[in-house]
Amino acid sequence: MFKKILFATSATAASDHAARVAFNIARSYQSALNIFHVLGVPSRGYSQVVVDVKTKERVDVDEDYLAWVNEDIKTYYAKYLDERLHYTIDVAVGLPAREILRQAKKLTPDLIVIGGSTGDEDETVYKKSSAGTTLQKVAKASHCPVLVVNRPAASFWGGLSNIVFGTDFSKTSEKAFDFAMKVAKALDCEMHVFHALDISPLHGGRMLSQDEIEQQIREATRKIRALYGARLKELSHYSMDVWEGIPYVEIVKYARDKHADLLIMAHHSRKLPSQDIRMGGNVEQVIVRAGCPVISINK
Amino acid sequence: MPEGKFCNKKPVDTAEGITQLLSDTSGNTYYKEMKELTVDSDLLWKTIQNTCKSRIRTWLEICAHCGMCAESCFLYQVNGRDPKQVPAYKIQSTLGKIIQKKGKVDNAFMRHAMEVAWSQCTCCNRCGMYCPHGIDTGIMFGYLRGLLYQQGFVPWELKIGAGMHRVYNAQMDVTDADFVDTFEWMVEEYEEDYPGLTVPVDKEGADIMYTVNAREVKHYPEDLAEAAVLFHMAGENWTVPSKGWEETSLAMFAGDWAACKIQVESVYAAMERLKPKRMIGTECGHAHRATVIEGPYWAGRKDGLPPVESIHYVEWLAEALNTGKLKIDPSKRIKELVTLQDSCNYIRNQGLKQATRDIMKHIVEPGYFVEMSPNKEHNYCCGGGGGFNGIGLYRKQRNIALIKKRDQILATGAKLVLAPCHNCWDAIRDLEEEYDIGIRWSFLKPVIIKMLDIPDHLKPEE
Repeated sequence: MFKKILFATSATAASDHAARVAFNIARSYQSALNIFHVLGVPSRGYSQVVVDVKTKERVDVDEDYLAWVNEDIKTYYAKYLDERLHYTIDVAVGLPAREILRQAKKLTPDLIVIGGSTGDEDETVYKKSSAGTTLQKVAKASHCPVLVVNRPAASFWGGLSNIVFGTDFSKTSEKAFDFAMKVAKALDCEMHVFHALDISPLHGGRMLSQDEIEQQIREATRKIRALYGARLKELSHYSMDVWEGIPYVEIVKYARDKHADLLIMAHHSRKLPSQDIRMGGNVEQVIVRAGCPVISINK
Repeated sequence: MPEGKFCNKKPVDTAEGITQLLSDTSGNTYYKEMKELTVDSDLLWKTIQNTCKSRIRTWLEICAHCGMCAESCFLYQVNGRDPKQVPAYKIQSTLGKIIQKKGKVDNAFMRHAMEVAWSQCTCCNRCGMYCPHGIDTGIMFGYLRGLLYQQGFVPWELKIGAGMHRVYNAQMDVTDADFVDTFEWMVEEYEEDYPGLTVPVDKEGADIMYTVNAREVKHYPEDLAEAAVLFHMAGENWTVPSKGWEETSLAMFAGDWAACKIQVESVYAAMERLKPKRMIGTECGHAHRATVIEGPYWAGRKDGLPPVESIHYVEWLAEALNTGKLKIDPSKRIKELVTLQDSCNYIRNQGLKQATRDIMKHIVEPGYFVEMSPNKEHNYCCGGGGGFNGIGLYRKQRNIALIKKRDQILATGAKLVLAPCHNCWDAIRDLEEEYDIGIRWSFLKPVIIKMLDIPDHLKPEE
């Protein structure tokens, strides 16, 4: 479990929560950690000049500069880095999402850890010309699970013991369940399987009666049992629940209620949301709001 | 003869040489050394006698100094109408002087000529349309660049760029294996959304052989996937060559004539090997000029044509939309004011204005397309053409050059600019960075993919 971790970082405060989690997992599970930073976006012309996302300066990217950035990252994370941690640092130039995926293709990690979205970086001219955030693009195309830490509150981590798996009964959810089982077994965790019944009139087009709601809850519970019940018995502690409400709110509430230290969900939006809808899907909403790290699984 | 370690008359033609040159940050030492570089006047004059043919000699001779070219030059307009920015003056005071003095010019003169050749002319050829004699200063500057390159007076980035073509047959250090690997990777990533998507490599006798810009492979590989998606959706029988896939030519901007020939011959070899019915290049202006328009002459082809019929991407796109191979969902058409950047290299210089207008008709809701003024063959350069975008030494001048395009865009009121050319795309991006006018810009491929009416059998399973 988690033999190789790719930690994609801006090496700024925006990635600090993710950093804490990434270093924590790497240390706890003796993982090889690759700290990966994309320093800037090159032009489509052939200028050697790149605007450094950290310093906001125009720089000539050459060997010296790359070495300097590498050293800078080492200094930034100095408190985490010691001899017991197996880490490497790589620095690249390009569009962050693409370069993270390229690095993942090269390293084939078991897990990608990525910080949440940052406010100011989105205002650069580079972002304006490409829809979707780095996180959305990586989550969509990644072959391995992607762990996201968006809020500081989500970054506390004392090892894994309590997993919430949110399902929408989709095909991708099955894969996410397989992964959740794998983690739970390997690390001896409790697992809580959860489905949120969407009762917002926006979703269904009308208000549901209480009888209908309860009927649907019973159906969903039966479905959870049928789909996951047998395999859950392989674990010593588990539970299954269905709550009604706005799905992402219910999942976040449920995770809090269960003192979850990890949320696992499927990410199966086919298309990237358009530029205007920044964090469109349910998973994205959970990521933004959750009080623990969220792993999204696509393939 | 003080030839520098970095700045000298020898082209770079090894990977080590390129790495070494790149290690000289911003070309600081390179430009310092340039001040000591000796001019080989004998070689210069001999070259002129061998290569400066009657057209250029006549042009220099018959120029009546009437000044009609002045207003036609956007650089003249944005630089306070300085008489030194009049095209006729610019070329007469550089190339004209070198010929007049039979090559006996000094180092300071050559450095000045370099500055004029790369920061006061983008080879947009607009002045040629307004000259009563049809004198095309842009063409003459292209020639002057060749003379300057031979003597080692060339901007640092372009010496590197031309070297890349010599070493990699591409404008960047992207190998043939990198190209195929990246294309396959991208297709694999998009295959989920577009079932059956493939990239046929080295398929003989295909209807289309597609060539690209190495930048796409290196930094923007989504472009490759998007090209594959559109060919797939149009049901085309297409292929990419595993060798000879790079359509661009920084060697052309640099004036490295020998590298121009090497580069274009690599593409022609692919055409001859795979025997496609047609070659189509990506959304790039200068690449088309280099490979399709000028290339045949560099390669010494007597008919002045590439080995197979070669068309620009916008021609294919217009054809696919006009014939219904690609269908647009009318409800997804652009419904905001949008303008179009006409690339000098294939609009003014090859006359493809109708193709892009046809595309606009398909993808923009009637009433929302606003032309720039002037437009089509009269449009101004983006401000970064001919190599200007990439040269650090002339960044300041380049940023001033962007003012014309900025004002043209602002006058349209559009917040979205379609720019089917890498150079234009980049200049427009830079002008947003520099002047912050609140616009968005895009190539055609991503815009069209979003509004396709996909046939049922090509849709992914839900």
